[in-house]
Amino acid sequence: MTTGASDPAAIESLAQLVDVARLGGGASPLPQVDPGAEALTDGTRSLTWAELIDEVARSAATLVDVGVAPGDRVAVHLTKSVESFVAVHAVVRAGGVMVPLDPLAPSAHLANVLVDAGAVVLITDARSSALQALFAEEGVAGQVTAVVRPRADQPIPLGPGVVEVLADAIAGSAAAPRVRTGPNDAAYIIYTSGSTGRPKGIVHTNASALAYAIGAASAYGLRADDRLANIAPLHFDQSTFELYAGPVAGACTIVVPDPILRFPASLSAFVEAHRATVWYSVPYLIGQLSTRGALNERDLSSLRWVLFGGESFPPGQLAAVMRQLPAARFSNVYGPAEVNQCTALNLDDPPGGDQAVSIGRAWEWADVRIVDGHDSGTSDEGSQAPGSDRVEVSDVDTGEPGELLVRSATLMQGYWNRPDLTARSIVRLTDADGRWYRTGDLVARRPDGDLDFLGRIDNQIKLRGHRIELEAVDAALRDLDGVAAATAVVDRPEGAEHRLVALIVADAPPLDRRRVLSELARRLPRYAVPAEVIAVAGLPRTATGKVDRNAAHDLLSQPADS
Amino acid sequence: MSTPEHTATSPEQGDSGFQRELIDFISGSVALADDPIDAETDLLLTGLVDSLGVVMIVGWIEAELGAAIDPADVVLENFQTVGQMVAFAATLAPNAAGPA
Repeated sequence: MTTGASDPAAIESLAQLVDVARLGGGASPLPQVDPGAEALTDGTRSLTWAELIDEVARSAATLVDVGVAPGDRVAVHLTKSVESFVAVHAVVRAGGVMVPLDPLAPSAHLANVLVDAGAVVLITDARSSALQALFAEEGVAGQVTAVVRPRADQPIPLGPGVVEVLADAIAGSAAAPRVRTGPNDAAYIIYTSGSTGRPKGIVHTNASALAYAIGAASAYGLRADDRLANIAPLHFDQSTFELYAGPVAGACTIVVPDPILRFPASLSAFVEAHRATVWYSVPYLIGQLSTRGALNERDLSSLRWVLFGGESFPPGQLAAVMRQLPAARFSNVYGPAEVNQCTALNLDDPPGGDQAVSIGRAWEWADVRIVDGHDSGTSDEGSQAPGSDRVEVSDVDTGEPGELLVRSATLMQGYWNRPDLTARSIVRLTDADGRWYRTGDLVARRPDGDLDFLGRIDNQIKLRGHRIELEAVDAALRDLDGVAAATAVVDRPEGAEHRLVALIVADAPPLDRRRVLSELARRLPRYAVPAEVIAVAGLPRTATGKVDRNAAHDLLSQPADS
Repeated sequence: MSTPEHTATSPEQGDSGFQRELIDFISGSVALADDPIDAETDLLLTGLVDSLGVVMIVGWIEAELGAAIDPADVVLENFQTVGQMVAFAATLAPNAAGPA
């Protein structure tokens, strides 16, 4: 734990992270922060710790004024800025449950999440037309009673039952003490897309969120003089590292505005100008930084940690960027949003060869098992012991694939209003204590103990009798020279044989399909080599930046690029 | 992505031709919504153009002018509005061989 901290167990709520007690007087179990030190910046505004604590307190008071009661869900629909960071902590301080929304999502999707979560207050910087479209969606107008718009000064008509709070009204509220919530109270809900249309909300409590925040701050040795680049949007759980782990150590957060993320050359300049020390993002953005970020014209030696996760990082690309950033240590972070993080592989040297990068091993705060049960290819591993609600599983041998189970204090409380789903996903075992989360991920252990992520159990397909992990094909595709992005999909034409198709975005079109196929034949078993390679201009991505394989599948029915 | 089949209109000479074509290209092939676009529309803050869109616009300008754009120049300041893109394109030197 960082120096100056007393007892992490004395921390009961995320609200204690950004609180006047941090400024000194021995009142906080967390390290003291320097009131005049920079706490938060987005390149436009900058706040010291004293200013941040005051602004969060005022915003929280506003939320209480518009009726937020402990446990109420408050949706945060803001593009990344100083205001978005403040809003998150204000909701927590007011005792609300923070529900982050994708600022770019269409109103129908947003309405689904708002209604599912039962959010009563919305904090947003959406344009008036988008806001009115949202309130026209079924279920929203009757449920959301207040809209807080921290960057607006003109009111818009949203309906008789809706109170609107504009920017100057927030600044005017007096500071008030935090609403006390306990370790087992819900703190935030992260919605994932899931494979069906119904939104799935992952509920983290103060306890699980703090377990992750304190663990990550310790694992990466975060200090008060660290400057964490907040790259992930609020609705992607990677952002919890900057939102909560950074403040545990009293580090500064550099919020990277979304427009800058679209320009790797601007992103590298931003990171350099703000002297970021820690970076955390999906591999895709790091790859873009490497190829388009003009790194030879930047000095990014301030970066001491580069964390990546969410997707596999092709070893060749990772090696290239590690050579471009020799001062940084790299860490492959693995963990479903349900547990935030559970394993890590810290790399000091660039990976050689083309073996997929390992996800390392369980970090200090998680126990993992790789188990076999019914080999049904669905997430029904393990069998129910008769007469009890405990599940019987058996550990697989080294090298054998199995489902990864995780036990950790960072584990979610459950899925919001989905007790059936929760009961299937969090189980008690016959031969071990505690709650175990069934990740649905296929993993295998190497002889040295490091783990290999093989893919989602759901993405394991059968083609002409052979079992294929689609992620393995993805990995082979992405590691090829000249490939900017790629994904494998299964073509299931009516009345014809199923076949594997590769969709590839080339660095410099046109794509040499013959070369691609011959290189794949070298790396993959014959039955896993795609039947066809199609060049595309781009691949659809989910709200968190990962390739959306289901949406990519739709590209098959469109005319191919030459 | 289709390439226009006529000689490139220079961004300096009566910028309106080049600008109009650029707006047409963005509206027709790049923008993620049907919002009207003019020279001052902030394409990024509105989410009309994503990172793939930026790549497409860079490619279109390069093809249109027969010029290569240095990745270090693909920055926010040069691509936030059509007006900025036109001003930036005017600084590009065409290849000796002419438009692609």
